[in-house]
Amino acid sequence: MKTADVLIIGGGIHGSSTAYHLAREGISVILLEKDYVARHASGVNAGGVRVLGRDLAEVPLSKISMQMWQTLDSELDADTGFRSTSMVYIAANEADITTLKQREARMNAAGHTHERIIDQRELRELLPYVHPSCTGGAVSQQDGHANPYRSTNAFRLAAERFGASIVEGTELRNLRRVGSSWIAQTPKGTFEAGTVVNCAGAWADKVALMIGDNVPLNHAAPMLMITARMPHFVEPVVGAVSRQLSFKQFENGTVLIGGGAKGFAERAANKTRLDYEKLANAARTTIDFFPIMTRAAINRMWAGLEAYMPDNLPVVSPSANAENAFHAFGFSAHGFQLGPIIGKVTADMILTGQPGFDLSAFRVDRYDRKVL
Amino acid sequence: MAFDCVIVGAGPAGMSAAVTLAEHGVRSLVLDRGAKAGGQIYRYAASSPLPDPSKLGPDYMSGAALINAFEACGADHVAGADVWHVGDDGRILYSIDGETRQIETREVLVCPGAIERPMPIPGWTLPGVMTAGAAQVMLKTDAIVAENAVFAGSGPLLYLVVAQYLRLGVKVAGLVDTTPRRNFLQAASAAPAALRSASLLHKGISLLSEIRRAGIPVYRQSVQLKLLGQTRVSGLSFYSNGLQQIEADTVFLHHGVIPNPNMTRALGLDHVWNEDQLAWHVKTDLYGQSSIPYIAVAGDGGAIVGGDGAHIEGRLAALNILMRLERISPETRDRLSRSPVGELRRLSQFRRFIDRLYRPSDALRLPQDEDTPVCRCEDQSVADLRAGFQLGARDPNALKSRTRCGMGPCQGRQCGPIVSDLLANWRGEHVSDVGYYRMRSPQRLLSLEELSRFKTVSSLQPRAREASR
Amino acid sequence: MFRSLRENVPETVQVSVNGHPVQVPARQTVWSALALSGQTVTRKSALSGEDRSAYCTMGVCFECLVEIDGEPNQQACLREVAPGMVIVSQNITEFTMADRDGL
Ligand SMILES: Cc1cc2nc3c(=O)[nH]c(=O)nc-3n(C[C@H](O)[C@H](O)[C@H](O)COP(=O)(O)OP(=O)(O)OC[C@H]3O[C@@H](n4cnc5c(N)ncnc54)[C@H](O)[C@@H]3O)c2cc1C
Ligand code: FES
Repeated sequence: MKTADVLIIGGGIHGSSTAYHLAREGISVILLEKDYVARHASGVNAGGVRVLGRDLAEVPLSKISMQMWQTLDSELDADTGFRSTSMVYIAANEADITTLKQREARMNAAGHTHERIIDQRELRELLPYVHPSCTGGAVSQQDGHANPYRSTNAFRLAAERFGASIVEGTELRNLRRVGSSWIAQTPKGTFEAGTVVNCAGAWADKVALMIGDNVPLNHAAPMLMITARMPHFVEPVVGAVSRQLSFKQFENGTVLIGGGAKGFAERAANKTRLDYEKLANAARTTIDFFPIMTRAAINRMWAGLEAYMPDNLPVVSPSANAENAFHAFGFSAHGFQLGPIIGKVTADMILTGQPGFDLSAFRVDRYDRKVL
Repeated sequence: MAFDCVIVGAGPAGMSAAVTLAEHGVRSLVLDRGAKAGGQIYRYAASSPLPDPSKLGPDYMSGAALINAFEACGADHVAGADVWHVGDDGRILYSIDGETRQIETREVLVCPGAIERPMPIPGWTLPGVMTAGAAQVMLKTDAIVAENAVFAGSGPLLYLVVAQYLRLGVKVAGLVDTTPRRNFLQAASAAPAALRSASLLHKGISLLSEIRRAGIPVYRQSVQLKLLGQTRVSGLSFYSNGLQQIEADTVFLHHGVIPNPNMTRALGLDHVWNEDQLAWHVKTDLYGQSSIPYIAVAGDGGAIVGGDGAHIEGRLAALNILMRLERISPETRDRLSRSPVGELRRLSQFRRFIDRLYRPSDALRLPQDEDTPVCRCEDQSVADLRAGFQLGARDPNALKSRTRCGMGPCQGRQCGPIVSDLLANWRGEHVSDVGYYRMRSPQRLLSLEELSRFKTVSSLQPRAREASR
Repeated sequence: MFRSLRENVPETVQVSVNGHPVQVPARQTVWSALALSGQTVTRKSALSGEDRSAYCTMGVCFECLVEIDGEPNQQACLREVAPGMVIVSQNITEFTMADRDGL
């Protein structure tokens, strides 16, 4: 039997970041991953690192995370591929501008000023190839993108350097509380720890159940497509206020197109299927906004398995029903950017009970209570 | 309306399946990206640009009969339909005329054929280095040949192309044969069974003696092949009775074919490792039925069986599909299958002999040099991959994410087999435990505009009818 | 050196290869046109910038990517020539910038 202070379930970015932040403090950590680190959402996502457009509840965490990204490579001694390119939301018409203004008022009232509304002229300056009819937009300066697989593994390798044990190809099958220990059964043996952390992504509701918490978690398969290299034509990450548009051009020239369209998820089989008709719509939207993309050559298409909560906010919380158990999951297709801070917050919850943020919106039992 | 049966690939497997289906009243839809039916082996056999195509040999000429039968059978052949997705739900997507078409079908027969096994020797990315298959494609399609080229490697296709060149009066600078001596011993044990296919054996032997009689330099048991040249190939150096060097501006490489894995992998069909052929095969029953019952695979796309074998497999797959569509009874299927199954058995004994005789050496399958490119699209060398492996990427897909090896437009068709073999070596495990890339559609580059013009087709458009004429 | 064994060519078309006019048999592949014109470099490797040329001529390797009538990433070995076709070798590397004059 292998033992540690903390047992983490899930080798995505949140599990790996938590392992890093704990191991750095001298805590002994075992991380179990059923496939390999970054096999799922954390390794195959769109790599977007954005504060722009986030739910107000997430903004404080997201802003600190964004600061952490700026120096992450040197902290982890790795190449995450992070580039601070800024991100722009395009307003296609006056209605979009109105939406942006309403949001700006709410953000300013809460003391956040990182989103700035821009006019048509500035939009054209930032995005020279945008369709001329677009009326303006909003920009967030520090936003950018990173390489998902490398970023997740940067945490993993740094955690290992601090002594964390990352066990791949090992699926948690059963978890029980015995005395003051959590005992974890896997096909590759038994593991024991005082504290358990559930970072199991699209499978996290199953782990939560083993811990004793019931959550209304859903899973789905957002789809992406990427082009062969194109001449560089866009620097910022691009989104739109009211259309499903989302893309970015990496330094190597490839253009990654998202937009949120979902395929079909079959999580028991680790499988996703694509909905090509929806991808065709995404292609049309992209061409509508950026005619230069008409002849872009799509090279690959894929989907990842992602966990969604009904309110599209994550669970970052101690267990409601068990001691020495914690959750960080349900990031609803925007958790990559939060990786650095969630590991830190989760480690702080475990080590001091003081996460340093108001996490009430992210409680695991928020659907158990009556909301007034 | 859904189609009863869609066949992807109009090579011998696909054509013979369409003919068999038609014999029993099922009109299939046959999609192929080529302008004409025939596949690789019978490419342009019924419409050759060569003044005297019979010089390519009787096997090639016999393709014309199958092509003519196919064209007369009433199947709807859509030429120029580049299939880039076959789904496990029976949906098929293809590009044609700058648009995407989606169709639905009850039964799918996938016949994507073979690709040549990568031969990653130093310099294999230099312009002027091509495959022997390429030499044959150029010859069949546009009657183009390379004068004074070197042919290097081993296997029937290599000798066939050299012989075809010589018959056509094209000068060949040399044949650098890499078949190891020990293969002859290994093959000997399979020889008695192969002898039952005496005519096939005789064909092979006469090819080699034809080359010998022509008097071109033939180097046996060649090792340590290196392509020469800085910005394009200028020759080949190797050891065969000492160091040899031949100058040439074109070098054709070949050491066997493997199933083209991308479509069957993306479909999620079960695959098994075949140690005789050193390749992954699609797991099927006798009738080519895959792990998804309504999807069948025939021809070299499932396992290497050759042109004759593909022809038979296409017929068997069609008989099973006819039964599944309730056009014939199980008894009729079995009765009609008896003779083709026997024929296939006989061919496979001969195939086993060939597989042993021309089993590629490890030194040619695996790059021996740290600097040799493995991934041609993304310029990843052995050293780059080793560095990724050392950073924890032990799985082919993890290594792909780490290094971009396999992410380029060829979708891993060239580097895939090499990467799995390298990882097997580094992990000290068998390649069947290492596995292969997880493949996805599209199977080709697709312009955003092509994708955006998305149409669901439930019956054939006039354009398709026209093309099949 | 590539050469054609065709004896009589009933129909030819004129295409342009990297700015040079070339007369080729109708309906042959773009790659064959390149091979016969002696201009066999199809693309530059996006990373090393090295010259590349057709390798498999059967649609597998994607080494033969060229720009045809302004559209990049076309497989020369799979496309047929058409009268007046403009064929240019593909030079998109990691560092290529979009041509702002084209706006
Ligand atoms: C280059 C080459 C030359 C060969 N020469 C010989 C020879 O001379 N003699 C011999 O005995 N064996 C030869 N072989 C082996 C022989 O080709 C096979 O045994 C036989 O052709 C297999 O038949 P098939 O129907 O399975 O595949 P193929 O004949 O290869 O047919 C497959 C067809 O599928 C089509 N296709 C594939 N993907 C798609 C797609 N995405 N969309 C639309 N269409 C698609 C292709 O265009 C092709 O027409 C050769 C193999 C190769 C690769
Ligand atoms: S030469 Fe290989 S794809 Fe065209």
